Amino acid sequence: MDIRLLRSSDIPLIQHANIENLPENYFLKYYLYHALSWPQLSFVAVDVSRPPKTPYDYPKIVGYVLAKMEEEPADGVQHGHITSLSVMRTHRRLGIAEKLMRQSQLAMVETFGGRYVSLHVRVSNKAAIHLYRDTLGFMTEKTESKYYADGEDAYCMKLDLDFIRDQIREEEEDDDAGEEKKKKKKN
Amino acid sequence: APQTLSTREANLFRTVIRYYEDKQYKRGLKAAEQILKRNPKHGDTMSMKALILNAQGKTDEAFALAKDALTIDMKSYICWHVYGILYRTNKNFDEAIKAYKFALKLEPDSHQIQRDLAVLQVQMRDYQGYIQSRFVMLKARPQLRQNWTALAIAYHLDGNLQQAENILNTYEKSVTTTPLRTDFENSEALLYKNTIIAETGDIERALEHLESSCKNCLDRLAVMELRARYLAQLGRKEDAAKAYRALLERNSDHPDYYKCLVDALGIPTDDEAALKAVYDEYAAKNPRCDAAKRLPLDFLSGDLFRTAAKAYLTLMFDKGVPSTFANLKHLYSDAFKKESLPVLAEEYLKEHSGSSGAEGQANGDSSKGEGAALYFLAQHYNYYLSRDLSRATEFVEKAIELDSKNVDFHMTKARIFKHQGEVAKAAEAMDHARLLDTRDRYINSKAAKYQLRNDENEKALTTMGLFTRAETVGGPLADLTDMQCMWFLTEDGEAWQRRGDLGLALKRYHTVFNIFDIWQEDQFDFHSFSLRKGQIRAYIDLVRWEDQLREHPFYFRAALDAVNLYLSMHDKPQNGANGVEGSHANGDDAAERKKAAKKARKEAQKAEREAAEKAAKQDPNKGGAQKSKDAEDAKKKDDDPNGAKLAATTDPLGDAMKFLWHLLQFSPKNIEGQIAGFEVFIRRNKYLLALRCLKAALAINKGHPKVLEQATRLRKALGGDLGSLAPKVKEVIESELASVPGA
Amino acid sequence: TSGDVEDEVQPTAKSAEDRKAAAALSKLDARGDDEGPQTGEVDQEAVKNAMNSLGGGADKKETKAVKVDAADVKLLVEEFELPKSKATELLKAHDGDAVKAMKAYLQPDF
Repeated sequence: MDIRLLRSSDIPLIQHANIENLPENYFLKYYLYHALSWPQLSFVAVDVSRPPKTPYDYPKIVGYVLAKMEEEPADGVQHGHITSLSVMRTHRRLGIAEKLMRQSQLAMVETFGGRYVSLHVRVSNKAAIHLYRDTLGFMTEKTESKYYADGEDAYCMKLDLDFIRDQIREEEEDDDAGEEKKKKKKN
Repeated sequence: APQTLSTREANLFRTVIRYYEDKQYKRGLKAAEQILKRNPKHGDTMSMKALILNAQGKTDEAFALAKDALTIDMKSYICWHVYGILYRTNKNFDEAIKAYKFALKLEPDSHQIQRDLAVLQVQMRDYQGYIQSRFVMLKARPQLRQNWTALAIAYHLDGNLQQAENILNTYEKSVTTTPLRTDFENSEALLYKNTIIAETGDIERALEHLESSCKNCLDRLAVMELRARYLAQLGRKEDAAKAYRALLERNSDHPDYYKCLVDALGIPTDDEAALKAVYDEYAAKNPRCDAAKRLPLDFLSGDLFRTAAKAYLTLMFDKGVPSTFANLKHLYSDAFKKESLPVLAEEYLKEHSGSSGAEGQANGDSSKGEGAALYFLAQHYNYYLSRDLSRATEFVEKAIELDSKNVDFHMTKARIFKHQGEVAKAAEAMDHARLLDTRDRYINSKAAKYQLRNDENEKALTTMGLFTRAETVGGPLADLTDMQCMWFLTEDGEAWQRRGDLGLALKRYHTVFNIFDIWQEDQFDFHSFSLRKGQIRAYIDLVRWEDQLREHPFYFRAALDAVNLYLSMHDKPQNGANGVEGSHANGDDAAERKKAAKKARKEAQKAEREAAEKAAKQDPNKGGAQKSKDAEDAKKKDDDPNGAKLAATTDPLGDAMKFLWHLLQFSPKNIEGQIAGFEVFIRRNKYLLALRCLKAALAINKGHPKVLEQATRLRKALGGDLGSLAPKVKEVIESELASVPGA
Repeated sequence: TSGDVEDEVQPTAKSAEDRKAAAALSKLDARGDDEGPQTGEVDQEAVKNAMNSLGGGADKKETKAVKVDAADVKLLVEEFELPKSKATELLKAHDGDAVKAMKAYLQPDF
C-alpha cells in the first residue's frame, strides 16, 4: 500500500473506485475541481503490489479521500470539508481510511489555515461513524434530514483541528530551540 | 449597409445581452425580435439572437442566422465574436479560433475576445498563439499577477523554461511590498518557479532557491519533498537522509521515502539485515504502519524472509485483513517465496485450527485467524502462478464451512468457478455473495460484472439498478452513462457482442469514446479557473495528463473491442436490422438471437418509459423546472439508442479508424493495438501503414506468432500489388521489408 | 412578460449533495475572473521597463527554407493519411526527400 497525494492522472480510477463502492457518484470534472482547487488536500491509497498488465497501467486506487476547503464558510471560519472517502472492500482493516484522513487534516491546517473539518455521513453507516467518532474524534453536530438522494438522513460531523495547529507550533518551537543551540555551540 | 439603432433600441440591445448572460433566453429572444421588427438587417442583433437560439439547443438555426448576420455586417466584431462562440460551444475549436481572430482584428482592444481566444489556443495546444495572446493581455493589465503567471505558463508549456522563469522574476522584481505569509498566490508562484528551475536541471540553484525563497511556503509537504529530492540528487546524503526521515515522520506508508532513505544511508543492496533494521525502526514507531512491515519481504531472502513473512502473515491473519494475498502476490515471481508463503499459511492454520474459529465465531467474526488463513490459501491456489483449482475449492469450502455468511469467501468461490470456465456458476455464486450484504455496492458491482461475463445484460442492468439513482430519466443505463461508469459500458458492450447484437455493442464502445471526449473538454474551464485559484503546479500537471489522456486502459480496451468488431463486420457483412448476425452457420441460432435481442430492446425501452413516468410523477409541483429539463433532454436526445445506425454502416473499416488512430498514437507499445492496426490497414490496401504497425509490433515482441503470420501476409499481398504502387512507395517498402523476418 | 419566468428556472438537483456539486461546477467558468483586485503593490515604472525588455511576445521559431514538392506532400497525405501540414513538416524535416521521410515515419518511435 502506498499513501500519497492525489494527482490528476489518478482520477479515472478514483472515479472507478467511487462508483464501485458508493452510491454517491460524480463526473470526472468534479474530481478535477477538487484536484485543481485544493491539490494539497486529497490523498489516495495505491495498490503497489499489482503486477503490471500493459505498458500503460495506471496505479490501482484502492482508497481515496477527496477533500476541499469551504469556499464561503457560513460561519466565517476557515474550514475543510470531506467530499468523499472510500476504501475498497478488499482493502479494509489496514487503517487506510484513517491514514488518508490524517494526511488531509494536516494539510488543511498547514496550507489553508483550517480550524476544523466537517463531513456528512449516512446515519446507517456504522463503520464510517465509528472511524470518524471513535478513531478520529469527530463530534456529531446535527442531523440533516433527507440529505441523500435516496432519502436517507445524514449526520453532520465536525472535528476541531486546533490540536494539529498546536502540534505544529510545538515542533516549530523545538526546531527554533534546536537552531539556537546550534548557533550557540558554533559561537 | 448595416443598420444603426435608435437610442431606445440601442438600450434594448444592451438588455438582450444582459438577458443572455443571465440565461433568460425567452426574454432575450423577445427583446431581440422587437429590435429586428424595425431593423430586420441589424447584424449585431441577428447575431445575439443566434447566440440565444444556440443556447436553446437550436444549433442549425443559430448557425444559419449568424452566417446571415455576417454577410450583412462583415465589419462587426460582435458578429465575428458570436460566430466564434457558436463554433466554440459546438466544439469546433479550430474554426472558433479563426472567427475570434477576425473579431480581434476589428476590435483589437476587446479584453473578452482576447481572453476567449487565449483559452482556445491553450486548449488546442497552440502555444505560440497562446504566448502572443497572454503577452497582449499582460500588456493591458500588468498590475495583475495572474497575467504574469499566465505568460510564464505559456512559455513553460511551450518548452521555453528560461523565458518562463524570466517572466516570473520580472514580476517579483517589480513588486514593492513584501507579500504576507498567508498570501497563497505568492506561496504557490514561488513553488511554481522552483519547479521550473528544477526542470532546467540546475538542481543546485533549485535547492538554493527553495531554501532561500520557499521556506515559508504554505504547501509544507511540497517543500519537504522537493528539498529531500534535491539533496539526494546532489549527493548530499546525510542531509537527504534527514529530510527523508522527516517525511517518514509525516507519512510512514509511502514506500518511496524508505527507498530514498535507504539510498541516502548508503546501505548496500545485499545487506538484508541492515536494510531491514531501517524498516523495523519505523514499524516499532508506528504500530499501525503497514509499509514498514511488508516492504522488507520484497528484498529479504532465505530464512530472513521466512521469519519476516511468518510474522507478517500471523499479524494479518490475526487481524483478518482481506487484502493479505493481494498485497503479497507480486512476490510470486520469486520461486522460493511462492513456495514459502502457502507453507507458512498452512503452519498458521495448524496452530490455530479450531481455537480461533470458535473464538472468532464467539466474536461473530470468523474472517479472522483460521478463516483468514483458509481464505489466503484459497486465493493462492486460484492465482495463475500457483493455480490448483481443486485445492482452491477445497480451501474455500472449508472457509465457507467456518462462516457461511462471509461475502469475501463466496466472492472467491465465484472467482474459482470463473477460472474453471464455469461462467454461469460463477455468476450464480457471485450473486449469492451479493445477497449476503445487499447494502454493499462493491459486491453488487461484482455480481453485475459476473452476470455480464455470463452474457446476462438485462439481469446485470437490473442488479446495477439497485444502486443507481431512481430518478434518472432513462433508468440505470442512463445513470451509469452520466456517471461515466466505464467498466460497465465496456463489459456490457462485450457481452452484447458475444450475443451477436452488434448495434448495442458498438453503441457502448462509442459511448466510452464520447466520455473520453468529455474528459478532454473538461479541462477547458480550468485554463482560466486555475489562474484565479493560483494552483499552478496542479494545473500544469493536468495539462500534461490530458495530453496523454487516451493512453488510459479504459480507452484502450473499448477501442480495441470496437476495431476488432468492425474488422469482423467487414469480413462477414451483416444482413438484417441492428446488425444482429444473420450469416451464422446455424440459421435457427441466429433467428433465436435476433429474437432475444429484439426482446431485450423492448424491455430496455419499457424500463426507460417507466423511469420517465416515475420521474414525471415524482414532483408534480415542479412542472416548470420539469419543462425546461425536458428541453434540455430534447437537446441531448439520442436518435440511435440501440446502435442500429452504427451497425448499418457500409464502411466498417472507415469507422474503425476513429478508434484506431488514438490507439496507435497513445498506446504504441501495446502489441494488441498494432496487430489490430495491421489488420485494418491491410484490408484497406494501405501497405505502408500496415508495415508501420508490423514494424512496431516486431519491436515490441519479435517472436509473436501473430506478428510473424502478418509479415507473411503482407509479403503475399504485395507480391500481387507491388507493380501498381508509386515508385517511391515501392522503393521504401522493398528496403524496409528486407529487415522484417520471414523473408 | 413575466408569465414565462418559471420556464427559465434551471432544473433543481434532487439532493443536497448534488446541489453542492452543481453549484461548484457552475462557478468554474465564471466571468470577470481576471478583473479582480490586484494582489501586491507593483512599481509601475519597473513594470514598464520590464515589459519593454520582454520584447514582442512569441519568438518566431526558426524554420528551415526547404523546398517541398507538392506531389510528395500529396503522396504522404495519401499513404499515411496525415494532415497536409503534418506531411509538409515531415518532408521538411527530411530535406524534402520523400523516400527518407517515409522511411523515418515507418520506424517505431518508442
